[in-house]
Amino acid sequence: MSWKRRGRNVAHGCLLLLAVCYSLLPIYFMFIQSLKTAEEDVVGHPLIVTRPTLENYRHLFEPDPESEFLVRPPVAFPVWVQNTVVVFGASLALTLALSLLAAYGLGRLRPPGWRWSRRLLFATYVVPHTLLFVPLYELAVRFGLDNSQLALVIVYPMLSMPFCVWILSAFFQTLPREIEESAYIEGASRVAAFLHIVLPMSRPVLVAAGLFTLGTISSDIVFASILLHSSEIQTVVAGLGAMDVSLEELTVLAGINLAGIPLILLSALFARGYVRGLTAAMVEGA
Amino acid sequence: MAEGPIRAVPVKSARDCPGRRPQRAPRRREVVAAYLLTLPAFLLVLGVLAYPVAWQGWVSVTNHSVYLDGPPAFVGLDNYRRLLGDGEYWRAAAHTAAYFVITTIAKLVVGVALALLLARPFPGRALAFLAVFLPWAYPGGVTIIGWYWTLNPPLIAPHSLLLGRLKWAVDGWLGFGAYDFLSVVLFNVWRGGSFTAVFLLAGLNAIPQELFDSAALECKAGWRRFWLVTVPLLKRFLALAVFLSLTTAFADLANIWVLTGGRIMFPIIGTHAYWLAVKGGQFGAAAAVSLSLVPPLVLALVLLFRLFDPPKEEPA
Repeated sequence: MSWKRRGRNVAHGCLLLLAVCYSLLPIYFMFIQSLKTAEEDVVGHPLIVTRPTLENYRHLFEPDPESEFLVRPPVAFPVWVQNTVVVFGASLALTLALSLLAAYGLGRLRPPGWRWSRRLLFATYVVPHTLLFVPLYELAVRFGLDNSQLALVIVYPMLSMPFCVWILSAFFQTLPREIEESAYIEGASRVAAFLHIVLPMSRPVLVAAGLFTLGTISSDIVFASILLHSSEIQTVVAGLGAMDVSLEELTVLAGINLAGIPLILLSALFARGYVRGLTAAMVEGA
Repeated sequence: MAEGPIRAVPVKSARDCPGRRPQRAPRRREVVAAYLLTLPAFLLVLGVLAYPVAWQGWVSVTNHSVYLDGPPAFVGLDNYRRLLGDGEYWRAAAHTAAYFVITTIAKLVVGVALALLLARPFPGRALAFLAVFLPWAYPGGVTIIGWYWTLNPPLIAPHSLLLGRLKWAVDGWLGFGAYDFLSVVLFNVWRGGSFTAVFLLAGLNAIPQELFDSAALECKAGWRRFWLVTVPLLKRFLALAVFLSLTTAFADLANIWVLTGGRIMFPIIGTHAYWLAVKGGQFGAAAAVSLSLVPPLVLALVLLFRLFDPPKEEPA
C-alpha cells in the first residue's frame, strides 16, 4: 500500500514537473534570448546563455529617435511603461467600478428583465472583432480621440466588462439577503451596507474580475496599434509591435520580459484569489 | 384582508425599523435605482459597439469598395449570396472549424490535466500553480511577438537550422503553410490551456471532497469516475471555457496575423475578412464574411445560457 502510494506520488511529481516545464519553457526561452549578445545569438546554444549581458535591456533605456531602422525604441522604454500603467489602470478602474454598479443592480436589486439584461451584455461577445477596428477608428477620428489614450480607455472596458458583470452579478445573486438586512435593522443605509458589508465580501470575485480584465486587455494588440500611433503615447505592446523586429529581435525580447515582470508579481499576489473568486462566482452563483 | 393582522402589530415607526417598511414604494425605488446603476455599464459597452456593428451591418449590404467611383450602392443580400458559391470562403470556413475543434479539444485536455494535477494539496503547490497560471497572465500581446521569432527565427539565430528543418518537414507532410497554422494552434493552446486550467481548477475546488470520496467507494476505476462524476460536475465550467474558446477561435485575427507575419496560407474567416477589407479594399464583401460568424456564435450562446440558467428557474 505504501509502495503504491509512493509510486503515485512520484508519478504525480513527474507529471507536475512536466507541466511546469511546458508552461514556462516559452517564457524561459524568451528570457534567455534577451540576455544574449548578438554574437551568441548567432552561434550559441538556443537554451543556454554562456556570457549573459544586460546590453539589450540597456538599449531599451537609450532611445534613438534618429535611428532609421528603429533598431532602438524611439522613446525610452519607461515612457511606454508609464503609458501602459495609465491606460491599463484607468481601464481597470472603469471596468471594475461600472461592473460593480451594474452587477449590484442586476444581481441584487433584480429589476424586471435583469436576467435578459445580463444575457444581452454577455451576448456582445458574439460580435466578431475582425473588422471592428475600421468603424471604431473612424469614430475615434470623428470624436477627436484618434491617437489618444482615452480611446483605448473607452474601448478596453467594452472587451472585459461583460464577463466581469456576469461573474459579479452571479455572486451578488446568491449572497444571502439576511447579511444586508441585519445591517438595515441596525439602521444602516443601503449604501453603507454595500460599502461595509457587501463590498468586502465580494473581494475575491473582484480580484478575479480584475485579473480577467488585465489578462484580456494585455493580450490586445490590434486596438492598441491602431488607436495609438505616436511613440510618445504608445503602450508597451503598440510600441514594441511597431519596432523593426527582424533587426532588433533581442531588444524587443528584453522589452517583453520587462513588461512581464509586473504581471508575474501581480499573478503571484493574486493568483489564488483569482481561483477563489471564480469559484465563488460560478458555483454559489449563476 | 391579509394585511389587517400585520398592521395590528405595534410597530413603532417606519424610521425605527426601516427593514419592515411596507413593500411597494421602496420596491419601485429599488427598481429605478437598479436601472440607474446598470445604465453606465450598458451605455459604455453598447455605445462603443453600436456604431461599429451598425456600420458593419450596413456595409455588408452595399458594394462598398475602394475601387468604386462614387458612393457605395445598396445591393441587398448579394454579398451573402456570393459567399455561398465562393470556394475561398468555404475554405476559410473549413479552416475556422478545424482551428476551433483542434484548439478547443487540446485546450480542454491540457486544462483538465493541469487542473487535476493541481487539485490536491502538495508541497510547493502555490509555485506550481503560479507556473501554470503564467502563460495566460504573461502579457499575451507582447508574448506573441516573442513566439513569432522563436518559431520563425531570422536567418541568424542558433536554432534557425533546426526550426527551418522542422518547418520543411511539417510543410512537406501537410502542405505549404501548415507549419504556420501549427504555430498559431500551439500559441493558442499554450495560452488558452492555462486559462482553461485555472478556470477548471476553480470548478474542482467547488466540488465537495465528500462527493469524490463517496464516488471512490462506489467505483474503483479512476477513468470511469472521471467521466461519471468529475465531468458532469464541471459541466458549466467546461461549457463556458468552450464558449470563450469559440469566440477567440472565430475572431482570432491578431494572433494569426502576427504569428504568420501576414503570410497566411490557411486563412480562417477572421483573416479572410481582414484580407478582403485591408488588402483588397472590398469592405462590403469583407463585412459579410465577418458577419457570417454571428449565427453559429449566437447558437452557441443560446446553448450556453440554457446550461447556465435552465428554463425552470425562469419565473424566479
